[in-house]
Amino acid sequence: MKTLPSVLIAAGALLGLSMLAWSQSGAPADPAAGTPQSFALLDPDNQVVGRYSIPPDSDILRHANAEEILYGKRLLNETARLLPDNVGGGLNCNSCHLSQGKTDHGANYFNTINSYPKVMPRAAAMVDMAGRVNGCFMRSMNGKPLPVDSAEMRAIIAYFTWLREDVPKALRVDTPSEGKIDTSLVPDPVRGKALYAAQCATCHGDDGEGMKDQFGDYIFPPLWGDESFNIGAGMARTYKAAAFVFYNMPMGVNHKLPIGQGGALTQQEAVDVAEYFTHMPRPDFAPKGNDWPKGNKPKDARY
Amino acid sequence: MNTLKKILLAGAAAFAAAFLIAWSTPYWYVPRLEAEVDFADRELIARGRYLAHAGDCAACHTAPGGKPFAGGLGMQTPLGTIYSTNITPDKDSGIGHYSYADFERAVRRGLRPDGVHLYPAMPYPSYVIVEDEDIQALYAYFMSEVAAVSKANQPSTIPWPLNMRWPLGWWQLAYARPRSFEPDPEHDASVRRGAYLVEGLAHCGACHTPRGIGFQETALRDDASGRFLSGSVLEGWYAKNLRGEDRGLSTWSADEIVNFLKTGRTARSAAFGSMADVIAHSTRHLHDGDLRAIADYLKQLPPRKGREARWTPREDTTTAALRAGDYAARGALQYVEHCALCHRLDGRGAPRIFPALADNSIVFAEDPSSLIQVTLAGGSMPRTPHDRMAFTMPGFAHLADRELADLLTFIRNGWGNHASGVSVRDIHQMRREIAHKPTHYAPEAQQ
Repeated sequence: MKTLPSVLIAAGALLGLSMLAWSQSGAPADPAAGTPQSFALLDPDNQVVGRYSIPPDSDILRHANAEEILYGKRLLNETARLLPDNVGGGLNCNSCHLSQGKTDHGANYFNTINSYPKVMPRAAAMVDMAGRVNGCFMRSMNGKPLPVDSAEMRAIIAYFTWLREDVPKALRVDTPSEGKIDTSLVPDPVRGKALYAAQCATCHGDDGEGMKDQFGDYIFPPLWGDESFNIGAGMARTYKAAAFVFYNMPMGVNHKLPIGQGGALTQQEAVDVAEYFTHMPRPDFAPKGNDWPKGNKPKDARY
Repeated sequence: MNTLKKILLAGAAAFAAAFLIAWSTPYWYVPRLEAEVDFADRELIARGRYLAHAGDCAACHTAPGGKPFAGGLGMQTPLGTIYSTNITPDKDSGIGHYSYADFERAVRRGLRPDGVHLYPAMPYPSYVIVEDEDIQALYAYFMSEVAAVSKANQPSTIPWPLNMRWPLGWWQLAYARPRSFEPDPEHDASVRRGAYLVEGLAHCGACHTPRGIGFQETALRDDASGRFLSGSVLEGWYAKNLRGEDRGLSTWSADEIVNFLKTGRTARSAAFGSMADVIAHSTRHLHDGDLRAIADYLKQLPPRKGREARWTPREDTTTAALRAGDYAARGALQYVEHCALCHRLDGRGAPRIFPALADNSIVFAEDPSSLIQVTLAGGSMPRTPHDRMAFTMPGFAHLADRELADLLTFIRNGWGNHASGVSVRDIHQMRREIAHKPTHYAPEAQQ
């Protein structure tokens, strides 16, 4: 007879305990909480000598030139709207340099400031940071160069400099700005057209026209036509575009940070779709005759 | 006999009576309703398949990666994880040996053929109003068209003695009384059809109606309390308020509701979390007429007192500030850094691609749980034949609690939105909730 109350008491205790256990136990909140993405830092001999963590934008505020860096951030994000005299089409710097140049394999800016000046094969000459930025203005944005001593150019370079943090010039953040693609793959633009319709057109439009917001600014950049990049842009080259597409497109389709990008196409499919959209009508690049003056022109060059 | 002994005896007698009453409900509370069901009737089977979609049976009885209706989906309760059961017509591990009366008692009354009471995770308090002919169609479908899968049911992780089922007999006596659908004569045919689906097979209230102290839905149909479909939180998702009031569906048109249930998105919003599953398994299969009926019914659910006004946004000062490069508002800098690429400076996203944050009722909902969970864990729209692509948002659990709290408070009050803030504690609690999500049991997938 005494067992029944004890069973009830035990049951009550067990209930309480299990509820307590449920509320207290289990994994710690989240091991990744508050931990930014980070990459190995390599020395010139490819030895790991440290780690680089992507700084959050809140870090900008502790710099003396925070205002200049934030202006740079804005210009990179909203180039077409803020610099209409310099952007010929509708693209922004960050149309390709995804998520403010903080994307693994997504034309990131991690090593940008430390990589210049350098000899670029296309120019066969030493190109400095401002020269490289203006290359983008004239080609990818089909526009005009910024004066190298302008507040705008200084702000853009200030953003790159901030993002590098304190990585010395001799070291390299171990993530490529462009991913590798097999350039022996033979493109098939017919397959590419079908892939474009299935995987790209939702955002970039059935006619490559992109998609605009209520203010007429591009949400998704036009991939061909007058508002798109010209034939002098790296993105106009099949294999450069294919590498970008393979690693980064579409965006918002999986859980990969920062924007759920890539992983949807095979390398062959990326080459096919890149061949298709890069070869659609787009603006010419008038000074194209100056490129690759010493030869070594890549096989996917457009001229 | 001393007093203590008397008390103990009385307690024991009461306990025995309580046990006997609950244990015996199959014999006096839940009658056996026999019926002849023709398994050769193709039309009946097809209707059963449609009704199984309407009842969203697959959402729980099919585990991720598992075979259809073979069970194994884990459901989190405060006492442990319970697993959905195998409802394929396998004779040993499924429902192959169920007579029609067995099937009917399980679906409408929550009773297994061996007299064991089912957990109310099975929505029999809603299914009880489903009409006989619909139950018969479901029986014909499950017994003749669903492929039998041999897979034993997974026991719950609830410890003894809490895993004893007979107290559920009392739960059923209190909260799952026999009743039938009572159409409101004031309603037109579409609203009546919508009420039948929403209160019954679609069991919307299982998530969208707040639960009471006994884990019972506090209203099983629209009544004077106004609690039916007034919003509730389950597994860290806020199943939003669906009543015709301010933060309910006041900002949704019937067309938008139909579009949402059919395609998983509208121009300004998208389903994610549990609702994405509902659309993928259930509502996208429903006929337009039934979706319209559901929308018509929901739109006429009256507002509660003081909540009659349509929710209206305040003046949007956020868009202009962000476009002008003014990131001074708390959370604004983080918004531009992590969110604006898709959701845009104007908070309008891209129609049918990236949901808007402005004027989107889950963003300014009373309860921010869904917004917090989707931000931490990410979420995907359901895939439907309507759109070429379906989109996914990654989770941002790598951000610090403080950053996330600022970010979500900014979003809930940006672009004219106005809602309560999100605290560091809210973020922390949701991280814990997510860490406790049950794992599913689908061993047949490896066979």
